[in-house]
Amino acid sequence: MKKVYCKIEQCLACRSCELACAAAHSESKNLVGALQEKEVPRSRIRVEFIDEKGTLQRVRAVAIQCRHCEEPLCEQACISGGIHKDEKTGDIVVRLDKCVGCWSCIMICPVGAIVKNENMHQALKCDFCPDLETPACIVACPTGALVYCEPEEMAKEQL
Amino acid sequence: MNILIIGNSAAGTAAIESIRKHDRQSSIIQLSDEAQPLYSRCLLSYYLAGSIDKEKLLYREEGFHKEMGVELHTGPWFQVVELNAAQRRVVCDNGRTFNYDRLLIAAGASAKLPDGMPNDKGIFVLRNLADVEAIKENIRDADAKRAVVFGGGLIGVKAAVALNMCGLRTTMVVSSKQVLSQVLDYDAGQIIAGQLRENNIEILQPAGITEIISRDNRLKGVKTDRGQLLDCDLLIVAKGVTPNIHLAQAAGVAVRRGIVTDSTMQTDHENIFAAGDVAEAFDIAIEDYTVNALWTCAVQQGRIAGLNMIGKKTDYNGAIGMNSLNVCDVSIISFGVTSPKEESKYKTLVLNQPERNVYKKIVIDGKNHIKGIILLGKIDNAGVLLSLIQRKADVSAFEEELLSDRFNYGTLLKYGGEKELGRYYE
Repeated sequence: MKKVYCKIEQCLACRSCELACAAAHSESKNLVGALQEKEVPRSRIRVEFIDEKGTLQRVRAVAIQCRHCEEPLCEQACISGGIHKDEKTGDIVVRLDKCVGCWSCIMICPVGAIVKNENMHQALKCDFCPDLETPACIVACPTGALVYCEPEEMAKEQL
Repeated sequence: MNILIIGNSAAGTAAIESIRKHDRQSSIIQLSDEAQPLYSRCLLSYYLAGSIDKEKLLYREEGFHKEMGVELHTGPWFQVVELNAAQRRVVCDNGRTFNYDRLLIAAGASAKLPDGMPNDKGIFVLRNLADVEAIKENIRDADAKRAVVFGGGLIGVKAAVALNMCGLRTTMVVSSKQVLSQVLDYDAGQIIAGQLRENNIEILQPAGITEIISRDNRLKGVKTDRGQLLDCDLLIVAKGVTPNIHLAQAAGVAVRRGIVTDSTMQTDHENIFAAGDVAEAFDIAIEDYTVNALWTCAVQQGRIAGLNMIGKKTDYNGAIGMNSLNVCDVSIISFGVTSPKEESKYKTLVLNQPERNVYKKIVIDGKNHIKGIILLGKIDNAGVLLSLIQRKADVSAFEEELLSDRFNYGTLLKYGGEKELGRYYE
């Protein structure tokens, strides 16, 4: 299955992906509108620094989001039965109507990919932007650090 | 192959799902003495509090068992009363017998009741859906106004918060000197006790209940060992659970506190497996066999048992105490051993910021492996820390960063090298 990958050497930590993700998951679907919404939408992708020292060119960062694991631990930990792996697509799906905000998924996710919406008691994470052709973060990334591809393609590139 | 599963909760369900991923042929029969559809026990306190409706308790969609090709029998009359390991057969309370080639005992645990606890109206445990329905009925019909919760563990705290949300004046009677003593250290326990008190939940500790006062078999109050008399019309006893091992024990299956299992969740009998609250498995933080009566452990053990029952040899990577709960808007996550007995053998890192309700603690052993974690108030990236315990990572190089709010997966990439990336970024 296709996943979002971050090429660390190309990430400048500009956080464009975070803004695009938040906007894509807002009611109004655009950044200006999103900021005026009652519930400020949250990004499900997070840029984290690996090394902060050195010049701008030397900054190393990684955009972290759900890995849509083969054996998802979040599905195992979810007490409400609200997380499952879609058999057809392989995507890990959170059903917000089931979520109670117990944060068991945060307790167990080994990459820290789950985002809290505390007001709504809901766990949020990457859903590959089901309404869009390409996930918003991929479109927004100005350096090509974020790619949406099959793991094999990614593996080839790393060789 | 004929597969028989005793129990219809976390472990049993996980076993069914893992079996059916690979095997649609084998017959699966599941027995449960609870006449309820498959629900999530962990959500019961939410249901009691009224923050979710009954429908939301359902752990899987209606029709799950049919879809999975499982013949499910539920109700008290399907309680298994006898296991004959030699003949590979079980007998239910109603006399029905079922044969098996592989048996999974996922019979769970029962709430402990102290000796001499009378059977008066108004006294409850909080374990099953039936318990919660009875408590709700008592609040509604008997117009309960004052409640006492006996016990300050996970269930006790959750029960007290829920009753408080129902509008009952609630008092907790806690025997140890802190709340959540199995999960938190003393300092974190004090923070949570403070939160509970701020929300008008009274806590008496250390204290015990010495006498139940009833009139016409109806609870009127309790007397504590400090001589206090607490009027109440509702008492929830939350003094922990005991694994339901009697059936296995009587059949000659090896038991200690729980049913003894190996790394494949098999018991000392070749065709009998055990998982969940009834089973003892290796705990990677305690480094010994123990019962972790926790939802996530039950799911993982059930999954492993299921795979091994159909011959897909898979080892369990070990249990660990892990809890996530919210108490009065404070999020808490804890792992492993948070207050080690031989304190001098461990290094503890603590971040205490009461002004923003944040408390974090990391317990590290002599080999620089993390053994226990408390995250209170700030729980982001908890699973990243858990993964360090699970893979016995040497954390000496980035010890100072562990308590930081900025600790994240990127920190591991920095110190662990980008080989780490391969693990989850493949």
